[in-house]
Amino acid sequence: MLEEILEIFRSNMMDIPILKPIILKLEGVPVLNLIVSLIFWRPFFAVIIIPGLISLVLYLLYIVWFERKLTARVQWRVGPLEVSRPIRGAIQALADGLRYFFQEAIVHVDAHRPYFIQLPILAFIPVLLPILFIPAGAVVGIRTPYSVQLIVAFIALIPLTIIAIGWASNSRFAYIGSVREAFMYFGYEIPLIISVMAMILVYGTGDAYAIVKKQSILGIFLNPIAFLVYIVSMLMATSRLPFEIPEADQEIAFGPFVEYSGILFGLVMVIAYEKLYLMALLFVILFLGGWSGPVIPTLGDLLPPIWLFVKTVVVISILVIVRSIYARYRLDQALRIGWTSLLGASVLSLILGIIVGVWLG
Amino acid sequence: MDEYRVDVPVKPPQEFRSYFIPVPPEFVEDVYRSDDYLVLVGPQHPGSGHMRLIVRVKGDIIQEVLPDPGYVHRGVEKIAENRLYIQNIPLVERPSIMDAANFNLGYVRAIEDALDIEVPERAKYLRTILAELCRIGTHLYDAAILAVFMGHTTGFMYPFGIREIVCECLVRMTGARFTSSFIIPGGVRRDVDEKTLRYVYYATLAIANRLKSFERIFINNPTVIARLKDVGVLTRSEAIKFGLVGPFLRASGVEYDVRSVEPYEVYDELTWDIPVSDDGDGYARFLVRVNEINQSLSIIRQCITRIPDGRVISEQIIENGKEIRGNFFDVYSDLVLPPGEYTTVTEAARGLVLFSLISDGESNVPYRLRVVTPGWLYLRGFMESLKGERLADLQAIYGSFGYFPPEADR
Amino acid sequence: MIKLERTKIDRLSNIKRHLEAISEAVKQAICPDRITVEYPRERKKYPEQFRGYILFNKDLCISCYRCAHICPANAIKFEFYEKSYPSIDYSKCIFCHFCVESCPTGALRSTKIQDVAFNSIEDMDLKTTQIIKFPEIIRDEEKFTVEYAIENRNLRVLREKKLDDLEIKFLPPKVKKRKMECTDPESCIGCRMCVSICPNNALKVEKIEIKADNSVQTGFTIKLNPDLCTGCGLCVRQCPMRILTLVEVGE
Repeated sequence: MLEEILEIFRSNMMDIPILKPIILKLEGVPVLNLIVSLIFWRPFFAVIIIPGLISLVLYLLYIVWFERKLTARVQWRVGPLEVSRPIRGAIQALADGLRYFFQEAIVHVDAHRPYFIQLPILAFIPVLLPILFIPAGAVVGIRTPYSVQLIVAFIALIPLTIIAIGWASNSRFAYIGSVREAFMYFGYEIPLIISVMAMILVYGTGDAYAIVKKQSILGIFLNPIAFLVYIVSMLMATSRLPFEIPEADQEIAFGPFVEYSGILFGLVMVIAYEKLYLMALLFVILFLGGWSGPVIPTLGDLLPPIWLFVKTVVVISILVIVRSIYARYRLDQALRIGWTSLLGASVLSLILGIIVGVWLG
Repeated sequence: MDEYRVDVPVKPPQEFRSYFIPVPPEFVEDVYRSDDYLVLVGPQHPGSGHMRLIVRVKGDIIQEVLPDPGYVHRGVEKIAENRLYIQNIPLVERPSIMDAANFNLGYVRAIEDALDIEVPERAKYLRTILAELCRIGTHLYDAAILAVFMGHTTGFMYPFGIREIVCECLVRMTGARFTSSFIIPGGVRRDVDEKTLRYVYYATLAIANRLKSFERIFINNPTVIARLKDVGVLTRSEAIKFGLVGPFLRASGVEYDVRSVEPYEVYDELTWDIPVSDDGDGYARFLVRVNEINQSLSIIRQCITRIPDGRVISEQIIENGKEIRGNFFDVYSDLVLPPGEYTTVTEAARGLVLFSLISDGESNVPYRLRVVTPGWLYLRGFMESLKGERLADLQAIYGSFGYFPPEADR
Repeated sequence: MIKLERTKIDRLSNIKRHLEAISEAVKQAICPDRITVEYPRERKKYPEQFRGYILFNKDLCISCYRCAHICPANAIKFEFYEKSYPSIDYSKCIFCHFCVESCPTGALRSTKIQDVAFNSIEDMDLKTTQIIKFPEIIRDEEKFTVEYAIENRNLRVLREKKLDDLEIKFLPPKVKKRKMECTDPESCIGCRMCVSICPNNALKVEKIEIKADNSVQTGFTIKLNPDLCTGCGLCVRQCPMRILTLVEVGE
């Protein structure tokens, strides 16, 4: 039976020329060859290593530190520095996470206890599922011609968990925060879907492989209006300033997450960052050419995932500067933007997409 | 849309019966019967200062707000009845921390009014420089609080960084960063030399330079303008009716400034303007204060170029050839004011502050000290301007008024 | 009067304002205007009249109790050694330095120490022996002294690689020597409160006989030993008849 499993793994292994001699040598050892072929089995590599769980965790550790440092630099400050001074405080997020582990997670009397505790963990489901479908070169979890549509569909499920978290808290400010999250959900979802549809019309297909192959000119220049609409929708969807409305710190004391403490608080705080990661992955595939880049022959199959990850991190690193520039909009002003200017711009991008799609293919 | 009233027996939720809510239970039941919602923006809240506000909301529109001030009441007026006149100086400048020189000035002018003390010219110029520096510091602090209430953390850090220059000037002049207790009856505590005055002069130019960065990133920011424009509007007649003071009155179209109506110190010898706006909304209140910063910088520069030489403490207090250092106790500890009531008004940064000393003629402690701070005077107008606005505007209007609970509660 | 005009909110000026804000943030991200002082590796240089920690000089003190009387926060108590000397409670002190300005001999003086920190509240109640000597400051990590300088209309942070000297040079106050004088010897009632309060035992009150109109009355006279009188003024404050005062002697 072990032989059958090994055969399944070996049939879909990653092809990395520089590591080939080590893999060949380890194939002889009885238990270790199972582990090694599992790690380099393409679906496992996609879901767990890049662009999956481990790279998600590394990205979280990096982005929390980088955002605070960049914001501090704009604000005439220094930012986190003391945790390990020689590397200028880079493991600050790890120190914060460890602190959350040791803090007491208080569940107050009025909360719906099972939902309160389990929902932050259940919120990971719509966040981690789309990673199955995001391809990076030959490395993909499940290969399907509808990958872009599936990713958008799963991203649409995440706000439901946030509303449920606010409802489970059973508190005055959490209720107001949930209502605001529901309103914001209506505001950005339709322009987001229309702009993604515009890009699908440009390339003629929703298959990620075909999209990346067709991007000899980058997607930004093919349909710049869809690019702007997607960026503003990304800011709205992940509760980033200037649209940080459900989690307004000063007005409603953190909205749906007001009653959380301890490790549950750590879990709910990263939901927005994970959603940003997903949307940035989709952004890179649609607009920036996905995993294409200069080829280094010795790295073989490892190179496209690395390019995808690096491009995503660069895009997010540039986007976090918006946090230090803008103040927060009011709910009705943000909804007005979503339903008038953003919707109009997305319809324009749809028309432009049809024209460019006809010209391209 | 029509509303129908259905009389069902309604019980407010359990939390309102178990917590301490400083409103009568009939009010709470009335709120629930008319389908409104009570939000308690309490004293321990990321966006309320230290004051409890009981907000009655219908949907997203505020119906009315009941303030509950007094969380930081420390009994300044009562403590002042047990301290010597000179020992009250650090006491009365503590309520409004950054604005210490203006409060200090008001109290000391009341004592000088009672004892008929003539202040020398150089001391008057030094006092004016201190008062204007503190006014700039307070306006910057209020701008920073406005920014953080709207989520703009850069707009919070920039004014505090600029305020460091103000605090550096204050340290070089007086020795302490803000509450300096530098103004005493008859003049100031010690002289300031030429090098420090040059530093303060160039510091005003540095402040104006850094204010340009602040202007580009916060004052002209479209999201900030969208949050503050046409929000919390008080018309001219409403502003006068509800008793607004200070820059908030000037933002509604009334040209009233104590420094020009009843001038004190050297304000009638300098040339300066009063910024007035007609709009009366949150953005106008903010812009009036930003323009006042520029006016204060120009006043400081004029004072430094015109300051005469001479004594810094009056001759009625201490004779020629001596300074206060070493003689402080012998001169001030047994001041006894003649019987009567002595009142002064001063233009503090947030409005008009009134000091009133009542003395019985024989004790060396005041019989009664009455302080009316600007925060207390415009609280009513602040509550009235909230009616009809959205819930998210509560923080924006709070920041645009610059309400400071320790100053209002004393 | 300056009339502020209404701000225009049409589309073009809004786009211009967006671009200005973004360009300002990008400029600050590339070369920031930082003014941070990285304490404790750097220490800010304060001027000579800074109001910091207060030190006491036992040799100059004349036990006049002026500092305890004037302190607005009641932070100074007197402790009795061979004479009474002040001790400061730093949990109450507000650093107003009224005591430093009241001391006629300059026994209390200021320093440039601004980092006054203790381990517990009970440690903050310092005794006289503790405020005589310079406190122990741990300056192992400190390398730079920072000064805020204004150059070319901008604030610049100047760093010098040396340690700042935290003691301020002592200048004695300009107060002439004073001695006690009795302005109305006939009103003395002989309560001898001045004798008991004088810290240097410089006063003596003796009975004398006054002859007036065929009767002999008992009166009192006060004798001062001028070498022992330091001009502290305690007897002036104690006399219930208010007949004592201080006069300046010397040139």
